[in-house]
Amino acid sequence: MEVLGVPESDEPRMLKLTQELFGNADPDLNRSGKTITDAGEGVDSIQSVVMDFMMYFNAITEDRRAKPRDDLASLIANGKINGEPMGHLEAMSYYIIAATAGHDTTSSTTAGALWALAENPDQFAKVKADPSLISGLIEESIRWVTPVKHFMRTATADAELAGKKIAKGDWLFLSYPSGNRDETVFEDPFSFKVDRTPNKHIAFGYGAHICLGQHLARMEMRVLWEELLSRIDSVELDGTPTRMTANFVCGPKSVPIRFKMH
Amino acid sequence: MSAEPFKVWQCRTCGYIYDEEQGDLGEDLAPGTRWADIPAGWICPACGTPKSDFDMIEL
Repeated sequence: MEVLGVPESDEPRMLKLTQELFGNADPDLNRSGKTITDAGEGVDSIQSVVMDFMMYFNAITEDRRAKPRDDLASLIANGKINGEPMGHLEAMSYYIIAATAGHDTTSSTTAGALWALAENPDQFAKVKADPSLISGLIEESIRWVTPVKHFMRTATADAELAGKKIAKGDWLFLSYPSGNRDETVFEDPFSFKVDRTPNKHIAFGYGAHICLGQHLARMEMRVLWEELLSRIDSVELDGTPTRMTANFVCGPKSVPIRFKMH
Repeated sequence: MSAEPFKVWQCRTCGYIYDEEQGDLGEDLAPGTRWADIPAGWICPACGTPKSDFDMIEL
């Protein structure tokens, strides 16, 4: 958030708005506190959250245009494309994706990893005994949780993929959790293995639009696991974990654990 | 074995790093594989960017 230019005092607000946006279908997280079954009501609910984001970042834009700082918000506020100021929708989209994508995804992945380690004590012991496997733990956690569940794409040309014909203009649902458990790519894909090699998952996407924050996410997780694994002796589930009700960006909602530390 | 120090290359699009000393087993590039020995048609394993769009960097 500091990189983006959001002050620390507003971080709880960003988290709340993010959870309301991505957890729109989950009554524990959305703004109404109710189960939304009507599509129109769901869209209205999302739009009200987006409007709040826009109001917040409109003020940031005005501030950074008047007094640019060394932050991402100043770059977005004063950004130009082909010599013209960046459009309002484009600027807002940059702010919102930077404000939402960089924390819920990482916390979902670490929560999912702890859940997996609690259920796979052999893997916990393996990475405890050999911290050089932390990189493997991180990649496997990202594959395992795949916090971004899908994106839609539009085919720009006719194509054929795995025997399926795709016509120019077709909409494609890119299911990242499915791709990350593709039996033709991953050996024993439904097992959590901290030493999985290779681990060419697609949780960050692929191509020119690959996740901008992937290296930051890995670094954050590395810091967490290096500190935590050196102090934690055991971890096991202490109840039944729950998942967010969502189909876009989501992960565990609660992971009750019992642990020992030294 | 060349006496020339190993170099590190980075993808301009996504930041993927290829370290000659470590190679990349996922790409069948053994440790010690020099950048010059990687085929020109090779692409970034993370994002598909062509080899020509990598920069040599100092770490």
